[in-house]
Amino acid sequence: MDTQQEPRKTFVVPIGPQHPALKEPGHFEITVDGEIVTAATVRLGYVHRGIEKGVEQQNWTQAMYMLERICGICSHVHATAYALGVEALAGVQAPPRAQAIRVLVAELERVHSHLLWLGVAAHEGGFDTLFMYSWRDREMIMDVLEGLTGNRVNYSCNVLGGVKFDVDDTQADAIRRAVDFLEPRTHHYLKVVTTDETLIGRTRNVGKMTSLEAETLGTVGPTARASGVPRDIRVDAPYAAYPDFPVKTITATAGDLEAKFVVRIQELFESYRVIREILDKLPAGDLAVRVKPRVPPGETVSRVEAPRGELFYFLKSAGGPNPDRVKVRTPSLCNWGSVLATAPGHKLADVPMLIAGIDPCFSCNDRLVTVRRRSTAETWTWARLRQYGIEYYR
Amino acid sequence: MDLEQTVVAAETLLKPFAVGAPSREVSRIDVVIRRADLPAAVKALVDARWGYLAAITGLDHPWPKPKPVTKPAEPPAEPVGPVEDRLEALYQFVNGALVATLRVSVTYHDARVPSICSIIPSATLYERELHEMFGIIVEGTPDTGRLLLPDDWPDHTYPLRKSFKGLTSAV
Repeated sequence: MDTQQEPRKTFVVPIGPQHPALKEPGHFEITVDGEIVTAATVRLGYVHRGIEKGVEQQNWTQAMYMLERICGICSHVHATAYALGVEALAGVQAPPRAQAIRVLVAELERVHSHLLWLGVAAHEGGFDTLFMYSWRDREMIMDVLEGLTGNRVNYSCNVLGGVKFDVDDTQADAIRRAVDFLEPRTHHYLKVVTTDETLIGRTRNVGKMTSLEAETLGTVGPTARASGVPRDIRVDAPYAAYPDFPVKTITATAGDLEAKFVVRIQELFESYRVIREILDKLPAGDLAVRVKPRVPPGETVSRVEAPRGELFYFLKSAGGPNPDRVKVRTPSLCNWGSVLATAPGHKLADVPMLIAGIDPCFSCNDRLVTVRRRSTAETWTWARLRQYGIEYYR
Repeated sequence: MDLEQTVVAAETLLKPFAVGAPSREVSRIDVVIRRADLPAAVKALVDARWGYLAAITGLDHPWPKPKPVTKPAEPPAEPVGPVEDRLEALYQFVNGALVATLRVSVTYHDARVPSICSIIPSATLYERELHEMFGIIVEGTPDTGRLLLPDDWPDHTYPLRKSFKGLTSAV
């Protein structure tokens, strides 16, 4: 028996790719040495729909509806980033009431997105009770958004030059009631994720990233803020109504998965506060100004803070009826790098949690996983990898 | 640091590399640089910890009218002149409210830029996207595998060039 002399064999565990709900479904190839991850790579683009190219054939108004469909979870921020950019190029400004309603919907969207993430992350960790509670509570926000906009997902709140609908007293009361219900629930969740032994076992000191690493990896949003990097466009470059309704940047220092839970949950309190403040001090006035169908030539950059971090739009007009170039850099793209960099050294069982940690727009948990083991191939579903992670820590 | 100080810091760092005067808007500064200066200019920003790289945006400037995509393998038919199809890569750095853009312009038949991955490793995804969508070859980038386009996407077909109107049924 001279197995000791054999060179160490590593296996490649491909995870993904199917993940049809977002712009960036990931296919990860995780190289493992026994139980420990030694390398990770990513392949994106499985549902790349060519939207950047597509909008060049649409007029300025149609393009907004197409861009809003980049993401089903944070659709509003895409339309807002685009509308703000076009308004800057056209030299107009949406009225204060419209800007406040944009922020109101953006914060409601953040609440629903963070609650959704909380559920998904808890589910990946095998904590389905938390998953079901947080998603039940998220329905409150979905109902409010539907009552406000008519839609649960693509709210279609923006028009170029303003917003489409007003907020009346009945709707405002419904939003207040939802927020009043959610606030104590959120306090409870904060207590759960920081005290529950089984969850802490999966999150504390897992996927640790120092602030220097977070900075050099170019992470954004809660992923960066959990490592103490205070990047928040709402604070760094306030847009829409954020100059009038400022938010506080929430950061943590630990940089592990637990810190990502804490940062996102604490951001919910900040969102509740801003939502209440906007409802109390909604400026009076018009909902929209007119934007001409032809936008003057020029270039502009528009940045907004999506639930997952900085959303970056570059817009170029050649003076025609359609955009000359629209570049979209979504926050998830920045954050993939942090998964690849932190995965080595962790156990294979931690990988689902590491991937969930950056909140990469999970909506489909049925991704196919194939484990290549020397010549024999074995097929795992995402559900099986998740189960493996749970069993491993049992 | 307020906005004005941020601008001054960026201007000072990028001055040695600028071709012509930088253009300036309230929250934007655009600096045209030569291709060879790109790594040095990026390094100057990174060493001074001036913001972070937010995006690399490609632009296509066909001249005078869009024409079929030329394959890089083909030798240029005409000598290099001032009027020809050009591609531009915009390296957008952000610091607070300010966006500083390094603009590098290349011609179709010499569409190459140096990689900045040795300075900013996370730029690899942006560089791969730039190559796939615009056909700008990023020299020295660590990974040149397909990132966004399908595996069976034809070579030398760059969808974000203006001349691209869709794949033909033969492909």
